[in-house]
Amino acid sequence: MTTPSQRSRKVSQVQRVKISPGAVVCVEAEIRGDVTIGARTVVHPRACIIAEAGPIVIGESNLIEEQVLIINKKPDDASPSKDDKPETLVIGSNNVFEVGCRCESLKIGDHNVIEAKAAIGRDTELTRGNVIGAFCEITSHGALPENTIIYGDKYEQRRQYEKPPDQTLQLDFLMKILPNYHRLKKSTKTDR
Amino acid sequence: MELNDTFYMKAEFIETASGNKVSKKSVLCGSQNIVLNGKSIICNDCIVRGDLANVRIGRYCVIGSRTVIRPPFKKFSKGVAFFPLHIGDHVFIDEDCIINAAQIGSYVHIGKNCVIGRRCVLKECCQIADNVYLPPETVVPPFTVITGNPGKPTGELPECTQDLMIDATKGFYQHFVPVQEVK
Repeated sequence: MTTPSQRSRKVSQVQRVKISPGAVVCVEAEIRGDVTIGARTVVHPRACIIAEAGPIVIGESNLIEEQVLIINKKPDDASPSKDDKPETLVIGSNNVFEVGCRCESLKIGDHNVIEAKAAIGRDTELTRGNVIGAFCEITSHGALPENTIIYGDKYEQRRQYEKPPDQTLQLDFLMKILPNYHRLKKSTKTDR
Repeated sequence: MELNDTFYMKAEFIETASGNKVSKKSVLCGSQNIVLNGKSIICNDCIVRGDLANVRIGRYCVIGSRTVIRPPFKKFSKGVAFFPLHIGDHVFIDEDCIINAAQIGSYVHIGKNCVIGRRCVLKECCQIADNVYLPPETVVPPFTVITGNPGKPTGELPECTQDLMIDATKGFYQHFVPVQEVK
């Protein structure tokens, strides 16, 4: 038995998650709070997108794999008296979040790759064409220059000449195959 | 050395006719494409992605908690394809790993918190230490120990590795015993 208050909460939660037409979001993915997912974005089962401290806006053609945690988290040192307005976590388009990575960064541009088990702190900003290698935890303040790659256990850095290739083909393939095996979250109409 | 018993709640696992023990808390996507050849154990919160391509796991394999097994993809000039993933017999994969390999031979040990990159090939009787990142398309030769990030060969295994792995995985299976829930 669900009480009326529970039911209304459920309804409001459903309405707060906006999924554009053309996005593939598995029901086994956990999505909480005010989350907007753009067209042609694929969210695998067991991914976790939690808008706790403010809304999350995810752009187009992103690939979000299993065990990924994208969280808009309250900073640990925030004083409870200071009540500023919630900040939005914005993710651009054509990004790849590989299995098991954690992303708290408030601003992620386009064409970035975050590899398996990497982590990005709240104050770090990814611009364009950045690659964060497996196991790398970046918590620095400010933005990374374009096309920067960070990799290895010594956090070596270098520039690459062009952005990582798009995953369009993989996205097409996943969009074809995932509906055969998983139940998907229905897309909601956006006001745009 | 005799292993200590590992206990599990009987209600949390499904035991198949061929002796596989699969946790109910694990996620097996596309289970019609997943073959477990018998006496394998899949622990809690594992994810096996049979929906992407076939996954074949041999006998006496142990897949630790929170490990993800997903077939690798390769891009071709026209479209991408996910490759089937074969895991041999007597393979021990520890907790928190991500396995993107194309093939894992028999008698392989993979430590905790490892990432095996896309389309790696692990030959028989090799060992991956803890916290290793194996870059995509790496081939690990037999009797090699791989450590570090990125993973590099740092040692060799004795010729008896096959027997050691058989003992270890069979022992683990025998000591993986159910307990009834106490009320």
